Amino acid sequence: MSDLKRLLSLMRPQAGWMALAVLLSALATLSHIALMATSGWFITAMALAGAAGVSMNYFTPAAYIRGFAISRTAGRYVERLVGHEATLKFVARLRPWFFIRLTPLAPAALEDQRSGDLLARLKGDIDRLEFAFLRILSPLLAGVLVLIVGIWVVARYDAAIAGVLLVAALIAGFGLPALLQRLAAPAAQQVTARTAELNAQLVDHLEGRAELDIYDPQRRHRAALDATSDALITDEKRLAGIAGFGGAGVGLAAQLSLLAVILIGAPQVLAGTLPGADLPMLALLSLALFEAVAPFPLAFQTLPGTLASARRIFSLVDRPAPVAEPATPRHVPAAGALAFSHTGLTYPGAGSAAVTDVSLSLEPGRRIGLIGASGSGKSSLVALALRFRAPSAGTVSFAGTDLDAYGADAWRQRLAVLSQHDHLFSATLRDNLRIAAPEATDAQLAAVLERAGLTAFVAAQPAGLDTFVGAHGAKISGGEARRLGLARTLLKDAPILILDEPTEGLDGETERRVMDGVMGALAADQALLLITHRRARLEAMDEVLLMEEGRITARGAPAEMLRHMERAPGGAG
Amino acid sequence: MTLSLVTGLLIILQAFLVARILNGVLFQKLPVAAFPVEIAALLGAIAARFLTVWATERFGFAAAGKVMRALRAELLDRVEKIGPVGLAETRTGEMVAALADGVRAVEPYYSRYIPASVLAVVLPLAIIVVVFPLDWLSGLVFLVTAPLIPVFMILIGKGAEALNQKQWRRLARMSGHLLDAVQGLATLKAFNAAGRMARQVASVADAYRRDTMAVLRVAFLSSLVLEFFATVSIALVAVFIGFRLLWGEMAFFEGLFILLLAPEFYAPLRAMGTAYHARMEAIGAAERMVAPDDLPALAETGGSTPLPHPERIEIRFEDVHLTFPDGRRALDGVSFTVAPGETVALVGPSGAGKSSLLHLLLGFVKPTSGRVLVNGVPLAELDLAQWRSRIGYVPQRPRLFAGTLASNIAPGEAAPDGERLRQAVAQAGLADVVAAVPGGLDGTLGEGGTGLSGGEAHRLAVARAFYRDAPMIVLDEPTAHLDHESEAQVEAALARLLPGRSGLIAAHRLASISSARRIVVLNHGRIAEEGAATALLAKGGLFARLASGDTELWEAAQ
Repeated sequence: MSDLKRLLSLMRPQAGWMALAVLLSALATLSHIALMATSGWFITAMALAGAAGVSMNYFTPAAYIRGFAISRTAGRYVERLVGHEATLKFVARLRPWFFIRLTPLAPAALEDQRSGDLLARLKGDIDRLEFAFLRILSPLLAGVLVLIVGIWVVARYDAAIAGVLLVAALIAGFGLPALLQRLAAPAAQQVTARTAELNAQLVDHLEGRAELDIYDPQRRHRAALDATSDALITDEKRLAGIAGFGGAGVGLAAQLSLLAVILIGAPQVLAGTLPGADLPMLALLSLALFEAVAPFPLAFQTLPGTLASARRIFSLVDRPAPVAEPATPRHVPAAGALAFSHTGLTYPGAGSAAVTDVSLSLEPGRRIGLIGASGSGKSSLVALALRFRAPSAGTVSFAGTDLDAYGADAWRQRLAVLSQHDHLFSATLRDNLRIAAPEATDAQLAAVLERAGLTAFVAAQPAGLDTFVGAHGAKISGGEARRLGLARTLLKDAPILILDEPTEGLDGETERRVMDGVMGALAADQALLLITHRRARLEAMDEVLLMEEGRITARGAPAEMLRHMERAPGGAG
Repeated sequence: MTLSLVTGLLIILQAFLVARILNGVLFQKLPVAAFPVEIAALLGAIAARFLTVWATERFGFAAAGKVMRALRAELLDRVEKIGPVGLAETRTGEMVAALADGVRAVEPYYSRYIPASVLAVVLPLAIIVVVFPLDWLSGLVFLVTAPLIPVFMILIGKGAEALNQKQWRRLARMSGHLLDAVQGLATLKAFNAAGRMARQVASVADAYRRDTMAVLRVAFLSSLVLEFFATVSIALVAVFIGFRLLWGEMAFFEGLFILLLAPEFYAPLRAMGTAYHARMEAIGAAERMVAPDDLPALAETGGSTPLPHPERIEIRFEDVHLTFPDGRRALDGVSFTVAPGETVALVGPSGAGKSSLLHLLLGFVKPTSGRVLVNGVPLAELDLAQWRSRIGYVPQRPRLFAGTLASNIAPGEAAPDGERLRQAVAQAGLADVVAAVPGGLDGTLGEGGTGLSGGEAHRLAVARAFYRDAPMIVLDEPTAHLDHESEAQVEAALARLLPGRSGLIAAHRLASISSARRIVVLNHGRIAEEGAATALLAKGGLFARLASGDTELWEAAQ
């Protein structure tokens, strides 16, 4: 329930538009009901008058009929527009809200989720929340409003008929959906379980394609996949059958109500307590009244899924931020040394520390090479420097002040980092570069592209800098993507440069050229931390550190370290 | 169709009975008790209508289920034809979404839109047939307005639909934009660009709102027209009937009967307007499913010739060229032979074409020109399933499946042989791993083989080859992503595996080619040189340069 409340509170800024949409929707439906009721009354009254040979005022009801026809048509049109306007306004608010709420969490607090999983769900979850108003709230609220007004009007003519309508509407609109939900629960659970199973089998079918081609010539996996798909469709069929029962049930309630109205009203007409023309009016009114209830089963059916989506979204954005922001951030000096002092980092839930007792100081102008096997803790140091994580022991400081005293965003202004998980956006080359510097000119872009060895690549693209790189840079090669990320890092004007495996995926020749480009244009007072598991350009460093199992186990001048490495068992391949 | 017709007839019958009863009460002053047959029939018609409406829904879904089944099967076939190499270019999440949710999204089209459109034809026709003999004027109103509705809907809908589809694509793009931004959050934060991106997310959504509303103002006109005609017609019919009743030109029964039918006449047409949404969703889903359809079918399809002498394998590459559909040239005229029992190592800089040669041999890609022959039979004619069952393959990153260790060592077998499993485990040096998994060979691995390290997964992949006792071994840089200890263990297992079998190895490091008699050195998709390692080193060519410039210090164990 609290998820629903919170969802509603998110919609509050659009409450005015939404209320208007609900009112208009109710108005349109009421107009339809009134049109049918008035028509029924009109033709009966006219027939009675004709049979009795008396005259009657037909102008007023005929005018009402025309008026209801117009208000229903126009009301429906305006209601749709207003409802969609409200929804789209909500979308335009929800999306940035969600993004801003995720920002402090990334990346540390989002890492436990398998990214595909998280994102695949996110897409559906956000979509469901966005349509919650149009698919659930609007039909339910407008329907209730129509029922209240409709039954109130009927009650002014006949209380018994109003009572019957109330009961029938409650059963069709609320009782039936609740019952069906209970009936559908086992099948719905099975659908959830089978869907997860199907997705897992599909992932195997795709990612295990090579293994399955070779090791599964009888295509047993495919047979299992087909069986799961068939079973799922059978379950979904059962659910559809139950849902169809709900839809048909509303119609049933409407027809039975009509019959009940006639059975209750007819004796009164004969007894003279109910004017004759009122009976067809009430009959047609009750029939039309159920139009308001018709969307209820579907709306109630959609509700649990939407609430589950809301719960997932809220529990995601409610995660505690992995790094606290200071209440009154200190001004970040323009220059200084980035220093790790006896720094340790243990990931939450991990048995052993990823980083233990690391001390190093990156003064302005200093170049440090950091080498070590994958998993030795090098990238954890980058996360600490970026303040994506806080150290669990020791400190990380800049210009003598602990990083936790600075605002994280202001501190990151001092860093230009190429991380291992550098993300290329589904945009053009230019837009990707400009992430680092939105105002950068094409000349500046050309300069960093040259340093990263991409000039020829860009020149070869017909669209030049406007070349679209595809999702995750899928339209360019891995080596080009890496160098584009490097160019972007070089574009950021910052006193400290941290490059985590900048030449991964490049052949030796390209690697040398790229590293020359990087080193050649370093400012004299720019500090560099080069993290690598390759030898390239280590000799240009002031100092080389070896990291093993989270600790710095050796440090020294490059030549000395390289000799050290070659003596070590299992060193250079 | 039949169901829709029955539903239509029941609707007409109901209106008829209600009109009769009310007519009797109001004009013949009879009590309802005077109409037992009518009331019983009305109850029957109500119940029957409930059942037919429900049955329509169920049959609608049954039809949709058939389509979903066929569609999913077709897409899965397509995935197999695309093959592992083509799939490497795609993102699994999107493909899974197309195969699971995309297929499901087609359902409302078949279960709602199509039945609604059938009813929209059948019911109005039936009503017109009934009404015309009773009252030509009301019949005329129906007859004139009914065709106007679809005509106007088409006129307005044509333009709106084009706009509408564009909006659907934009909606998909907008979702993609948000997800892309979320995935890149760490990068955005490192570049102080998260705030800028938040504003961009907001402005994209706001621009979407403005454009969409412009479209909807037009798109909703079609339903406005529909509602307008439906409502005005009902009003007209009511007024016409009223006056003729007043003038005594018509009986009340007929008037009420027609008035009761009037909303039913337009209801299915309006329902179709609502189901239009289902249509749009289905079209959107179909577009997502174009994704797998757009990918080229790279995989070799093979033929039916059985493999001769399947116990000894000789491989011949004859002037093989391979250019990918995107223009990437992978191989440019390669010819060489692997004799039975011989192990050949492929060496060369990354991108030289080593993996492509293996993929050709495995049938993951078809050559653009040239032939790959196994025991003299071209792959294009060979029974691929049989050929592949003779191969032991260890890829760069072995994929493990959710399931038991045993089912992972023998993935294609319903009941793996226990003794052969134990031997394969011992030979592959996997005994310590099996001992560590609770339940041993029957213990389960999580999705993607969670719980095993990279080196352990590789040894498991080697165990697959041992279990199969395959005469042909294909290794794709088997130790590229391993640390040194794991590498040594995998190398030891491979040294037990290769002797006596034909082998083709794409070698990443020179250590792993020790068991190869012959080395084929590739560069830019061509053979640069070939021969024994010592001879190549002495020659001082590309191989010698590669050997000396081996710059790896540590391996990325990912």
